[in-house]
Amino acid sequence: MVKKLLVVDDEEEICDFLKSFFEDRQFEVETAHSGIQAIEKARKFGPHVILLDIQMPEMDGLKALKILKEENPKVKVIMVTAVETQEKIEESMRLGADNYITKPLSLEYLENDVQEKLKGLV
Amino acid sequence: MVMDYERILRDVAKLMVRLKKPSRLLKMTTRFIDKNFQLNHTSIVIWDEARSRYAFADSKGRQKIPSGFVKFDREHPLISWFSKTRRFVKMPKDYLLRSDLETQIEKGLKTNSDSMRALQIVLKAMQVLKAHAVIPAYYKSDLLGMLILGAKKDGYGFEAREISFFQTLVQDCSMALKNAEYHQSLIDRNSQLESQLREIESLRTREQKRYYEIIRSLAQQVYAKDPYTFGHIGQVERLGVITGRELGLDMAGRYKDILSAGLLLHDVGKIGIPDHILNKPARLDPDEWNIMKTHVDKGAQILEPLTDFKEVREIVYSHHERWDGTGYPRGLKGESIPVGARIVCVVDAFHAIVSTRCYSKGRPIETAFEELRRCAGSQFDPTVVEAFITALTKEMKRRGTGFFYDGEIKHTA
Repeated sequence: MVKKLLVVDDEEEICDFLKSFFEDRQFEVETAHSGIQAIEKARKFGPHVILLDIQMPEMDGLKALKILKEENPKVKVIMVTAVETQEKIEESMRLGADNYITKPLSLEYLENDVQEKLKGLV
Repeated sequence: MVMDYERILRDVAKLMVRLKKPSRLLKMTTRFIDKNFQLNHTSIVIWDEARSRYAFADSKGRQKIPSGFVKFDREHPLISWFSKTRRFVKMPKDYLLRSDLETQIEKGLKTNSDSMRALQIVLKAMQVLKAHAVIPAYYKSDLLGMLILGAKKDGYGFEAREISFFQTLVQDCSMALKNAEYHQSLIDRNSQLESQLREIESLRTREQKRYYEIIRSLAQQVYAKDPYTFGHIGQVERLGVITGRELGLDMAGRYKDILSAGLLLHDVGKIGIPDHILNKPARLDPDEWNIMKTHVDKGAQILEPLTDFKEVREIVYSHHERWDGTGYPRGLKGESIPVGARIVCVVDAFHAIVSTRCYSKGRPIETAFEELRRCAGSQFDPTVVEAFITALTKEMKRRGTGFFYDGEIKHTA
């Protein structure tokens, strides 16, 4: 079965980079640049894992996280953000985030974590 | 692609020397490689001391790594490949080619030893970064960072002369980087020292002002013992200062305070001279005169504990020296007598001539000038005498004689 990943970040460069990175690892990858786009793409695409930025225009990552988890409680969401405050971390966890990774990140760690979240799903 | 590597390196090196900002230097390097080589990406990873990690400083090309997105810790396979000693595999340490790794792994595939696994981990790290060549940047034995190059667009491997070009470029870059860092640290240190210096300077100034106030009141006390000179010590000081200015001494800085203190305190040792000698209305006999002379030693002794007043003490101690070397206490001669003491000597003599003292009546200023000139070269420094006369004449023209006597001394001018 195909591993599906949705990358959500308002920086196009990051989306492109992660898309290429995970495609090399036999993922099917879609990208979105805002919270609203992320919700739309998630409905159509049905990802197993979502990499979700927090600071984005239109709708930020925390609001999107709430809706994404409401609509599909089984989806794994990894917050990938430059924002690292105790408050944001706790808020993310309360809303059901499955991990919280701060930028700059270790690609090896990110890959392992995504693979970890996929266990039992794919 | 035909390239004159030598010339390019020279040009780049010249440019690097002029760049003082490390971030610009790195961006220039990636831009340069990206423009001149057809690579999928050109990236620079650099050690971030403040956060103790390696991070991407810049990246260019189709497969570039977004800035600020990826970091390496010290345990990252590529970092440990270049910063730790490797005994298990014979591969160059000053560059790493993906093709070399693959060859090594192919050769040793059957062994499946720890070293093979290590090579595979490094290969995987290169795959993650889409890296085909990595050039480490060392400073001494520290790994400053790495130049990470993607595959060539034409699909060919890197040639030896290209690798050696990149190595030279990286070396130049590290040197320039260290220079820039050193330059910046010097600037930082300098401004830190400057502000500390300013602080010390202002503390000193405040401290000295306070000392100076104490001295002024001490001097008033001393001269209060001698009813004839009481109140005139301020005039002695003023006369001395204008003489110093006329001589071209720096009267805006620290020396003004030194000279002022010397002028105020020159007779401070008289505090230890018995009143009957000090105020004797007749000539002193030789014994009394010898006691009187000790006031310079006593003055120096009083100032001894004040380490900041070494120069003042010298003035006090030397104000009875004579230009021709026949003075006391040391018999100093000419310019070996501190200039402050030479000024005090002239001003004090002038003051004695024009003031009414217990042993003499005040005489006119003109007489005093004549007397000073007569003794110039024997008792006084001729330059100081002329400077004194010029300065005082100027001041009197400007302000009248009241400038220094406040009309207390009756004399014909």
